[in-house]
Amino acid sequence: MRVRLFALGGLILMMGLPAASQEGGGIPRTPDGRPDLTGIYDANTLTQIERPAKYGGREALTDQEAAELLRAQATRDEEADKPSDPNRKAPKAGNTLAGKSYDDFWKSFGNRVVTIGGEKRSSIIIEPPDGKIPPMTEEGNARDDKYGGLAGRSDVLERRGQRPDAFDDPEASANSERCLLGFGWTSGTPILPNYLYNNLKQIVQTPTEVMIVTEMIHDARLVRIGGRHLPSSVRKWLGDSVGHWEGDTLVVETTNFTDKTRFRGSSENLKVTERFTRLDANTLLYRFTLEDPHTWARPWTGEYTWAVSNERMFEYACHENNYALGGILRGARVSESEAAAAKSEHK
Amino acid sequence: MLIRSKFMILSACTALTVALAPPIVAHHAFPAEFDANRPVLLKGKIVKVELVNPHAWIHIEVAKPDGSTEVWMVEGGSPNTLLRKGITKATLPIGIEVVVDGYQAKDHTNRANGSDITLPDGRKLNLGSSHGTGAPGEAEPPSPQK
Repeated sequence: MRVRLFALGGLILMMGLPAASQEGGGIPRTPDGRPDLTGIYDANTLTQIERPAKYGGREALTDQEAAELLRAQATRDEEADKPSDPNRKAPKAGNTLAGKSYDDFWKSFGNRVVTIGGEKRSSIIIEPPDGKIPPMTEEGNARDDKYGGLAGRSDVLERRGQRPDAFDDPEASANSERCLLGFGWTSGTPILPNYLYNNLKQIVQTPTEVMIVTEMIHDARLVRIGGRHLPSSVRKWLGDSVGHWEGDTLVVETTNFTDKTRFRGSSENLKVTERFTRLDANTLLYRFTLEDPHTWARPWTGEYTWAVSNERMFEYACHENNYALGGILRGARVSESEAAAAKSEHK
Repeated sequence: MLIRSKFMILSACTALTVALAPPIVAHHAFPAEFDANRPVLLKGKIVKVELVNPHAWIHIEVAKPDGSTEVWMVEGGSPNTLLRKGITKATLPIGIEVVVDGYQAKDHTNRANGSDITLPDGRKLNLGSSHGTGAPGEAEPPSPQK
């Protein structure tokens, strides 16, 4: 394990360290003059995707509101670090487990408020101007009902208790639970923060291709620079990504999705346009627009910053030690046999 | 040093309630894996640490009321986060005693989630803190744990 981590760390060091910035705090550039996006980025943020109602529709936070967000997290961290009662009893039965699944010392919730051009933001979504995902169309809602879940989010499991077959088969589980794609849309496309941990991204750039790696769950998306999309008969879980440069911004258009990811309820016809811009030596601006008339009446756009990071990105080998999925399926079988036994006793 | 271990499972009749859409989405649904009606308090020595994804597991040897022992596996989060905080296997050495609050697995094997894992005196195992980058809008890093 240790040897493997060292080897991986060495590889990341070779591949991942951002090039030294140019004089005057400028952005790093490749020999052909393009902005050099290669590096490790930390996409964590405390700014929510959709704008909370308390901000009354304002895009900008006051300094006080931004400070409050940071303070609330710091308070939570402080509380979590306090010693527990050494003579405590077992926790209460009936706890939902949702809020305290495991200790905060495993977690890294985020330590930044999205700040762009000096403006501290109340949400990642900036268009529509209310900072909310547009309402779903009738068609989108009907499809969502068919898939049975919370705007079709394949990573959200809480509602699957409503599905009688939810624990019959590993393939009925969510992509994240099966170690296929990151939860909370860390994998994308587009890429969102998960507000929990492992929000590192790695970009490796060549003149002809750009690779975007998400730590969780080890997904690599290859972007071809220039050229056309694959034929519509070729579909990919993360979509088919083609990029081009507009000045110093890398613009990536992604289409050819499947029905397996359903980003926030989207259809296979989703088109995502991402814009990667190095703002300075320490910051990348990540902007995304989603268009899918089969799901939303109008497009929507979000943006947030990724900080250049000197942290190490580790392998997230998920499947080999995913004891949880087996535990869930076995648990369901035990519950079924107990229910059957209780029923036969009543007879 | 005399190490006293005890093991307790409380059962209760409280109905299982399911929380809808918490702001943070866990890797898997805890209510699906663990039984909310089987809370446990486990005390014992660490016998094995698996720092693996998607969830780390700490194995502890727990004494039963009849004096025999059994090993319980306690689930934690992603080890990647811990490594970045400077917490490694060396931080959780074999043989130290810990106290764990949690809920037993729904398959009723000796597994539980670790809602709270501490040293016997109640101190948290949190020995580090997340690192900042100095980016605009970022919080000051919290002071290190004593």
